[in-house]
Amino acid sequence: MRLFRSRQAWLGLLLIACALLPALIKSPYALHLFILVFLTVMLGESWNIIGGFGGQYSVGHAAYFGIGAYTSMILLRDHQIPPWFGVWAGMAIAVAVALVIGAICFRLRGPYFVLASIAVAEIMRNGALNWKGLTNGAEGILAEVPPFVLGPLHIDFVGKVPYFYLGLILAVMSIVANALVRVSKLGYYLQAVREDQDAAHSLGIPIALTKNTGLAISAALTALGGGFYALYTGFIDPAGVLGIDVSIQLVLVCIIGGIGTVAGPILGAVVLVVLSEALRSNLLASALFAVGVPQGSAIGQFLKTNLAQAHVLVYGILVVVTVLFMPDGFLGFFRAIVSRRKRAEANS
Amino acid sequence: MLVLIQALVSGLLIGGIYALIGIGLTLIFGVMRVINFAQGELVMLGMYLAWFFFTRFGLDPFVSVVLCMPLLFLFGALLQRTLIDRVLDALPQNQILLTIGLGLVISNTVMLLFTSDYRILSTTYSSSSFHLATVSLSTPLAVSFLVTAGLTALLYWFLLKTETGAAIRATSQDRDAAQLMGIDVRSTSRIAFGIGSALAGAAGALIAPTYYIYPQVGGVFTLKAFVVVVLGGMGSVVGATLGGLIIGTAESLAGAYLSSGVKDLVVYGLFLLVLLFKPAGLLGKSRV
Amino acid sequence: MARNVLSLLCVSLLTLAACKQESGGAATPSGAAPAKSATIKIGVINSVTGPEAPIGESMGNGINLAEEDLAKAGIKVELIREDDTGKPQIALSGMEKLVTRDEVIGVVGPYTSSSSNAVASRAQRYKVPLLVPVASKEDITKQGLTYVFRLNATSEAYSQVVIDEALEQGENKTLAIVYENTDFGTSAAKAARDYAGKKGLKIVADEAYSKGSPDYRSTLSKIKGTNPDLIFMVSYVADAILLMRQARELGLKPHAFLGGGAGFTTNQFAGEKDISENVLSSTQWTDDVSWPGAKEWAARYRERYKKEPTYHAACGYESMRIMGLAAAKAGGDRDKLQAALKSGSWSGIMGEVKFADYDGFTNQNKHQMLVLQIQGGKYITVYPKQFAVGKAVYPFPGWK
Repeated sequence: MRLFRSRQAWLGLLLIACALLPALIKSPYALHLFILVFLTVMLGESWNIIGGFGGQYSVGHAAYFGIGAYTSMILLRDHQIPPWFGVWAGMAIAVAVALVIGAICFRLRGPYFVLASIAVAEIMRNGALNWKGLTNGAEGILAEVPPFVLGPLHIDFVGKVPYFYLGLILAVMSIVANALVRVSKLGYYLQAVREDQDAAHSLGIPIALTKNTGLAISAALTALGGGFYALYTGFIDPAGVLGIDVSIQLVLVCIIGGIGTVAGPILGAVVLVVLSEALRSNLLASALFAVGVPQGSAIGQFLKTNLAQAHVLVYGILVVVTVLFMPDGFLGFFRAIVSRRKRAEANS
Repeated sequence: MLVLIQALVSGLLIGGIYALIGIGLTLIFGVMRVINFAQGELVMLGMYLAWFFFTRFGLDPFVSVVLCMPLLFLFGALLQRTLIDRVLDALPQNQILLTIGLGLVISNTVMLLFTSDYRILSTTYSSSSFHLATVSLSTPLAVSFLVTAGLTALLYWFLLKTETGAAIRATSQDRDAAQLMGIDVRSTSRIAFGIGSALAGAAGALIAPTYYIYPQVGGVFTLKAFVVVVLGGMGSVVGATLGGLIIGTAESLAGAYLSSGVKDLVVYGLFLLVLLFKPAGLLGKSRV
Repeated sequence: MARNVLSLLCVSLLTLAACKQESGGAATPSGAAPAKSATIKIGVINSVTGPEAPIGESMGNGINLAEEDLAKAGIKVELIREDDTGKPQIALSGMEKLVTRDEVIGVVGPYTSSSSNAVASRAQRYKVPLLVPVASKEDITKQGLTYVFRLNATSEAYSQVVIDEALEQGENKTLAIVYENTDFGTSAAKAARDYAGKKGLKIVADEAYSKGSPDYRSTLSKIKGTNPDLIFMVSYVADAILLMRQARELGLKPHAFLGGGAGFTTNQFAGEKDISENVLSSTQWTDDVSWPGAKEWAARYRERYKKEPTYHAACGYESMRIMGLAAAKAGGDRDKLQAALKSGSWSGIMGEVKFADYDGFTNQNKHQMLVLQIQGGKYITVYPKQFAVGKAVYPFPGWK
């Protein structure tokens, strides 16, 4: 049993369990949920690098998400380049854009930085709306994904299973990237900047370089996520991939899970996706009826028709509760409980 | 030439509304250093209140401003007292998140109550207009502009001539010093948040007859209010007034001379330029 | 830390359990006897809430009436409804759910062009017949998608029929186009542009707008400056009203205001008498048209819903009726349903319906569009001649 004491072993086990899931569950809808979780994990982890470690609360990451999505879709549409190649170009463009944005926005601090990041993303969204020749404007881009062929390997992106594994790989990749950044020099620099930028500066930490590197990595991963999203849905439009909702969602995943930690975004993604899908498919209403809320009553009717739409409301409530009562997110909350119990055990 | 004058006039009239929303935002920021991301949702509440009073009781939207303002004042003061107050010493990022969360809660609660349908409030004067020389002015917009101007004047008077107003100004200048001078900073904050909300609510009620009303309409106004406030200088009431008029006019001119699609592009471009080259805004003191 | 991972594992297992239960619950009825189940499951995607909700409501009402009529004919259909709130992404995930989780045999909907366009290729991929009742973007049936059928006429017809009517009324030389920048608006505007070129109309203004910022004053004053003979607008519900309001406010006075269906043919629009009077609009259907049963159906609709039936209701009704009849023949098999839709022909309130391949279209019904005008708050068919019941007021007499 000693083996299972170590973190890596647990993670390995979890990974294997995940990898075996498609063999167990055949329901496309269940797989769809997992794919959503993977995508959300990935986006949360991407934002976490600059937002969590670096403390630079960008509310404009939709810009990079959109770049990843649009680049891969445009390359697919105009040049038949499959998204798994096209997305690399998307990531490169995202990094380039991130450097420009960084040069502009990192001169600003706190609330001004937040506002500038929003402005940049909104400019992108409006740009995509107006540059019809490239982006097809508000109509969006619809494309069919070709099969992936590599030697004997032939993958049709028709069912959910290929997306499941792709999503799993990408999610793991982003988790690993986060863990690596965290223990690297860059990670320590970023955290130093977050805690006290002026002190970090006087210690000789290159502030601009640190922030820009962090943002570049974050942007590249976000763009990768955008490419995956485009591949999965097969349809993108400016409101869907460049809207402020996308930016906010990335932040929420981290805040709710636990900001500045590697496991936080994972937890946040699971909580958010499970909760919102449970609401959307009326699982929660059914659960309430099961525990005795009268189904025929006015309240029952109201719940039945409305809970399905309430998932964003629940997001909102979660954010408010998190900021007020669990500033370290669900992860911090659980940790506090665990350490309290440990302390109690030690005392008794 | 006619097109130019017409665009300028229409822009100024809309700009008055933007100014009102911006003033609310800047007041809140001045006193508490909190950027209220739920400002647009407060405008939306004002719109729904006006719509509700109109469809249920036949109350004219311009009359219901008188009801919307105190209701929104109470709501804002309540928000401040129960929620915002708790994060005043937290990181600015967390304050922003809290107001984002509140915005989501408000807009989605409204969506559950009234669905996400677009409502249109049709009064007898919704499409009426009058002419000054050859320029036509929308009657409801002109009336709302006058009310806005009146409210702004009233607010200036309040800030300059009353004790509470002086307390608000003192707190905006230096919160700690104000506290040392014996100002009840907490109650001042409550009043400021209340007034900020009331102004947003008034703006909502005032445009209700000419706009369409849906739960997510707030986002548009929140973003516009940011632009207005940064342009004028965060915390500056006069700046926000000016900023509102400028943004309204810029939008209108862009619509008339470029295309309606690039209106927002022009506005955000302007916003970014100000952030970069004069982050303190036209009339603000540098706090970057 | 191990505990954290453990808790994570627990959460994912819970999710899994929830999903299994969900999918298990839904899969049993159809899984047990997929071919010969007593009720036929048909999916409906509609804009129940959101900006297009008033139109979605009409279409939904029509579908409900069809469900009743099918039941009367001994065909029991179970409708599984998805609300796309007017957004293509949500329509897509709704389609996914209908096909993979609810295992419907066919789908009727969605309402908007953007949603239908997004969903169409998905229908083909899963080989699920999709019957589009009223979305008009040409591409939907122009990509060779054999599982996608469309009842209504396309945006080309929307633009042409109403321009034809205006040209027949009098001499018009210039045209201004205002449209929403999504699929419906752009495709109709493009069609109008092309057709204007053919008819020698000069386009003096061509303005797209984004939904959600309803201040058209600057755009409209620009248009007023060009003094066009005709103004053609393509908009959904709320924008149609606000465009006309601001047009009145600014005192625009062309020879005629032309609407491209959608928002210009709703009860809400007709009810705004100050601004809707004398507006001409293209439509797929009117309640006084001579197609079999149209008048009786309209009366029934009025009695049931206390509202005027719009073309969206008629299209929704006829699509669901056809889908139900064909599905009953197909006995729960998607491929057989596709074949039944492809080979069948129906006659009803929308006239003769047959899904044919022509002019690059696949499975497209050749439908005759009409033009109506709002006179005294009522919709009156004024064009083409064989369907007209009233005479058009022309030119636009000015604002009241």
